[in-house]
Amino acid sequence: MSDLVVQDGGPLTTIQDLGRFGHLRVGIPTSGPMDREALLLANRLVGNPDGAAALECTLIGPRVEFADDRLVAVTGADMAPTVNGAPVPAWETVPVKRGDVLRLGPARTGVRAYLAVAGGLETPVVLGSRSTYVRGRLGGLGGRALRKGDRLPLGAAAPVRPRRVRPGHAPVYGGEATVAVILGPQDDRFTAAGIAAFLTGPYEVLPQSDRMGARLKGPFIEHTRGHDIVSDGVPMGGIQVIGEGQPIVLLADRQSAGGYTKIATVCSFHLGRIAQLKPGGRLSFRRVTVAEAHAMLRDSRRALDAAIE
Amino acid sequence: MTIWPEPRLLPCGDRAVSVELGDEVNRELNARVLALEYLLQQRHLPGVGETVPSYRALLVYYDPLVIGYEALGATLRELCVRARPEVLPPARTVELPCCYEGELGFELGAAAEKLGLAPAEVARLHASADYYVYFVGFTPGLPYMTGMPERLTIPRLQNPRTKTPPGSVSIGGIQCCIYPIESPGGFWVLGRTPVRLYDPDAPDPILLRAGDHVRFRAVDRAEYDAIAALVEAGRYAPRITGAAA
Repeated sequence: MSDLVVQDGGPLTTIQDLGRFGHLRVGIPTSGPMDREALLLANRLVGNPDGAAALECTLIGPRVEFADDRLVAVTGADMAPTVNGAPVPAWETVPVKRGDVLRLGPARTGVRAYLAVAGGLETPVVLGSRSTYVRGRLGGLGGRALRKGDRLPLGAAAPVRPRRVRPGHAPVYGGEATVAVILGPQDDRFTAAGIAAFLTGPYEVLPQSDRMGARLKGPFIEHTRGHDIVSDGVPMGGIQVIGEGQPIVLLADRQSAGGYTKIATVCSFHLGRIAQLKPGGRLSFRRVTVAEAHAMLRDSRRALDAAIE
Repeated sequence: MTIWPEPRLLPCGDRAVSVELGDEVNRELNARVLALEYLLQQRHLPGVGETVPSYRALLVYYDPLVIGYEALGATLRELCVRARPEVLPPARTVELPCCYEGELGFELGAAAEKLGLAPAEVARLHASADYYVYFVGFTPGLPYMTGMPERLTIPRLQNPRTKTPPGSVSIGGIQCCIYPIESPGGFWVLGRTPVRLYDPDAPDPILLRAGDHVRFRAVDRAEYDAIAALVEAGRYAPRITGAAA
């Protein structure tokens, strides 16, 4: 076992695994990756189980030094990774040696990059997960973002051959995204014109967006009778529409319950697209039925399982 | 009373469904939600994930690759028929010390003026009641409670605070809440409890659960400080009574 040494943490680099389940009923969010597919692929490229903990790097990546020879993989946002200053590819396995320094720069496209290391990060498991929930000071390393001098223990790596994501299977992050939504649970609290405006869009991502939610600005969404409801549970991807008729998509670190109308919910397999939209990026919503969404979920699982050579 | 004759199953994306039993803040309705959650947990249905109870609905997460929406819906409708308060295990009562003095109850005076009562009377009335926890959430461990004497019904603050200290015991409308972590807040802060409702370093970080009862015991500043020191040292456990304690 050895450590990963953080030389520079970047603005918001956190440890995330697939998330902390079973505690929403007492208000502890799931946390976990904002782009689940990108984390899964990073782990699979280095031979880790899907649930291994890795780094989620936001807008600007960290600089880390390795204490032994390891396989690593970078997926998600394009942060132009380098090892000892020389460019290395993303979306494929990269071997590093003891003393090597891996650096991720500013995101050229996308917002969140994932850095998986063979063996996984073995920081303490808190309530069944290593995911970091910064607002609740829970999980990760002391419940906070990484900073210079942190040492992250690594697990034992299984021997694997280097792999890469098939050409054309890595997502391309542009300035626009379309995501599938299922209307409800409170779509009956909006006028037909309000729902039509919502489904027409597009909406622009505002800079105040974070791991709790993506704040959007665009066509006004009209309520029938106010935006308050008797508070109920807020699903992952739930889209609250508040007083000004503007939507907020609630994400990994969201509040567990809330008192605003929710017009629709973003389907799980498209949440990563929202996670990778920069402020100013555009988002449109496409309505699907529950049955259609489940068929799309199966297709997206198959595509993910076929993505690595 | 707005309890739907039949539950409404409302899809919440491809991996969750909300079972809505009514549309108001009402103990009978909430107890049915908690009973539905309890019965569903007893069933150990493959593919059913976590559940989030609230005033009038139960949010159920599921894996559609394991259990289909129609099959899950049929089970939920069937369980709703039996979801009555009687199926729940006996409730716990948690006693929380609360200091209503000075800076700890920094809006007691203003709230008392708004209510046309003496500050000491507001504190006495507040500490005299039995509170019921409908559900816990928004931020980790925050209880949504009612039970206050009617004379303490008060409009929410005109201008919400951006920061409320953890442990603040506060009222707004007919509700009482305790802020587990520093948060914005629109309720009037009457006092503070030294007990931690959320402790990320504890093996079980959350104190209160949906369905609990809460009693406040008024303490003076000296006792507050003494309990706070014990809490800090990890040597204080609030008094909990009831079968599930």
